Amino acid sequence: MNILETRGLTHDFEGLKVITGVDLQVAEGERHAIIGPNGAGKTTLFNLITGTYTPKGGKVIFKNKDVTGARPHQMVRLGMGRSFQITSTFSRLTAFQNIRMAVLSKRGIRFNIFRFVDKMDDVTRETDEILKRINLDGERNIPASGLSYGKSRSLEISMALATDPEVVMLDEPTAGMSVDETHYAVGLIQRLTEGKTMVIIEHDMDVVFSLADRITVLHHGEILASGAPGEIRKNPKVKEAYLGEMEI
Amino acid sequence: MDATTAMYVAQGIHGLAYGMVLFLLASGLTLIFGMMGILNMAHASFFMLSAYFCYQFQIWTGNFWLALLFAPVITGFFGILVERFLLRKVQRLGHIGQLILTAGLGLIILEGVKVIWGTESKPVLVPTYLQGLVNLAGMEYPVYRLFIIGISLILLIILSLILYKTRLGMVVRAAVSDADMVNALGINVPVVFMTVFGVGTWMAGVAGVVISPILTVFPGLADQVGMDAFIVVCVGGFGSIGGALLVSIICGLLNSYGVQFFSQLAPILIFIFMVVVLTIRPMGLFGERE
Amino acid sequence: MNKGFKWILWGILIVVLIVYPRLFGIYYTNILVEFGIFALYAISVNLLLGYTGLLTFGHAIFFGVGGYSTALALTHIQGLPLLASLLIGFLSAVLFALILCPMVVRLSGTAFAMLHLAFGLLMYVVTLKLRGITGGEDGIGGFPIPPFSIPGIVSIDMTDPLMFYYFAMIVLVICISFLWFFTKTPFGQIMVGIRDNADRIDYVGFKVSHSKALIYIFAGGFAGVAGSIFALFQNLVSADEFSVLNSFAPIMIIMVGGIASFFGPIFGAGIFALIAELTSRYTERVELVMGLILILVIMYAPMGFLGLVNMARARFFNKEGAS
Repeated sequence: MNILETRGLTHDFEGLKVITGVDLQVAEGERHAIIGPNGAGKTTLFNLITGTYTPKGGKVIFKNKDVTGARPHQMVRLGMGRSFQITSTFSRLTAFQNIRMAVLSKRGIRFNIFRFVDKMDDVTRETDEILKRINLDGERNIPASGLSYGKSRSLEISMALATDPEVVMLDEPTAGMSVDETHYAVGLIQRLTEGKTMVIIEHDMDVVFSLADRITVLHHGEILASGAPGEIRKNPKVKEAYLGEMEI
Repeated sequence: MDATTAMYVAQGIHGLAYGMVLFLLASGLTLIFGMMGILNMAHASFFMLSAYFCYQFQIWTGNFWLALLFAPVITGFFGILVERFLLRKVQRLGHIGQLILTAGLGLIILEGVKVIWGTESKPVLVPTYLQGLVNLAGMEYPVYRLFIIGISLILLIILSLILYKTRLGMVVRAAVSDADMVNALGINVPVVFMTVFGVGTWMAGVAGVVISPILTVFPGLADQVGMDAFIVVCVGGFGSIGGALLVSIICGLLNSYGVQFFSQLAPILIFIFMVVVLTIRPMGLFGERE
Repeated sequence: MNKGFKWILWGILIVVLIVYPRLFGIYYTNILVEFGIFALYAISVNLLLGYTGLLTFGHAIFFGVGGYSTALALTHIQGLPLLASLLIGFLSAVLFALILCPMVVRLSGTAFAMLHLAFGLLMYVVTLKLRGITGGEDGIGGFPIPPFSIPGIVSIDMTDPLMFYYFAMIVLVICISFLWFFTKTPFGQIMVGIRDNADRIDYVGFKVSHSKALIYIFAGGFAGVAGSIFALFQNLVSADEFSVLNSFAPIMIIMVGGIASFFGPIFGAGIFALIAELTSRYTERVELVMGLILILVIMYAPMGFLGLVNMARARFFNKEGAS
């Protein structure tokens, strides 16, 4: 069953078409990678699905519900998590506080002005568990802006996951990482997304083939091909689109 | 022409003259606040300071023209010093740093002029040939107000030509929109900023000198006009010279005709205008960014 | 610092507040009341500025609305109890914040600041012009100050400055403690989250505009309480309360005291009161000194007094300064 679908999704920026009639299908539990050359519209597609923009045409179906035009916070509450290509954490808050923000949201604690947040022991415990799992317990009280690049990327990804979403959307989680960091991040993502549906934008083909069990290729805002990694690797149209742009 | 029409025309000239002074002040502010993004609460203080310089020059030399020439230049130079030695140092703190710094500076200037010149109004005299009325096409116009309108128009034209038609203007506009990029192109951005700040302050200075014969020189001079100038910049749109011109004239006319038609509400009109515009368009009428 | 020590400090503070009027006399007692009012006012602004990252040039709107509604209520309603007049000040400010909310919550940065400047100016001029209601330039003065009374038990005369001091201090301390608590709740976390990265707040599942609205209402309401106490304290309200200067004052207090801490504005208000008191003894040019201090603070101690304290602590004890 498809947990996430787009039907004829279309978007333009002041007439400039960036997404044209995209029919994306993501089955429950699937690890779905979206690849494509620069400017193919991958991040825009993410922005349309997660509520950053309202699509100009077409539909987004999430868990059999039409969620076209839903705002980001509504998508999160429906069970979708998202990380960003450019790290977007709360820079002056500590690693602990960053994760706790997501834990509070997951527990539906929003307008609570009647209790000390530091004394919510179950929240603290859950946050600390997450920090331990992502190997950030040593940096618990360091502000996000003071973390190393690799650690802050881990934090970025983990915040998307800490709301315990059914579908996680990761926008180039390994962007700018060294080989070692990438290796570590792939392991982390595998561990954390176990049992969840994952959609990932990725440039690094090693990462794509080690993580994904289905790949959609986006080119000039349209879906060029979609299928298992083996099929995509052999697809002549994909090779043509990437020719001279990327090794596959 | 009948008396009523003559009165309307006279009111119009008054409004226009005030609007143009406001424009001189506001266009300086639009350079500094609108284009460079420096929140300068002391802008009107420079305006007032220049009026005092003008007064002092006239005492020394007895010549209005010398005062008109030198008072704004000294004020502009003072502005450059402020940018170079104070404002530049608090750049990383953003608007709040600029607010505190320039508010402090405004207080010092205000108290400073009180210490030096006292609190009473000082008169500034204009040459006799700029006084009185002139008869044009059967109507009488106050000469000095026409002079204000004229001098402001000349400055407006020069400023627009420099900003939009010369290479220098291009550099300034580029430096303001992307300082890092222009810096990388080998242009000394800090110097550009300092110059623009100086020019903006100089324009405030010109406004201060030309208004001083009408309002006389006193410490509260900056209050009303300064607030109006801020409104003009916000409503006209940050960085828009044309917007500043239009809103200045609207403000001036609202002021003079408003007093005539609904004297109680006249000052409120301008603020309602501002609230409505900013509520609908937070970036101002002709502004491109917030 | 352990818990027992903290309680002792609180105890000392309370004792000092109680015996203060006996030690320093009524003149300095009144200075302390004014300090407390501005501390609460500045803290309410700091909820927006320091915690949520919203710069406002018009918070005097709420201070003024609080003051005027208390003054108007006491003038026109016979026998209105003291606490009710205070509550009216609070609720009017809250109502005003509710009205402005839909217009301001979408905004941030300069647009937020400037729109508030516009609203503030509008309120100022309207107050001056609506003479029939607001008394124009004269303001509203001489309204009756009701006693603090619990029927059948106690009735304390509030025109006695000493009694008013105790009353004002209790209200102020309660309000400030409440706001402190407010910043420590889960919602307080959302506030600082909005300051750091409002976009991400959405993707964690909180609605930024609703959250901003709630903060705005709190900040407005408590500025209203400050204005309300100020009106009772002076037995006078004037249009100056809506002035731009009164909107800038809390920002200056915050910067001088320290923007990064809840208690910064309290120190700032204290420093301002101290400077005003000390300099006015030696010179009439209090504002000149204020101007110089503002420039010195922003150039050399942008994190304010508490920033300096933390730096000194870090240097002497060779450890990270805590905020």
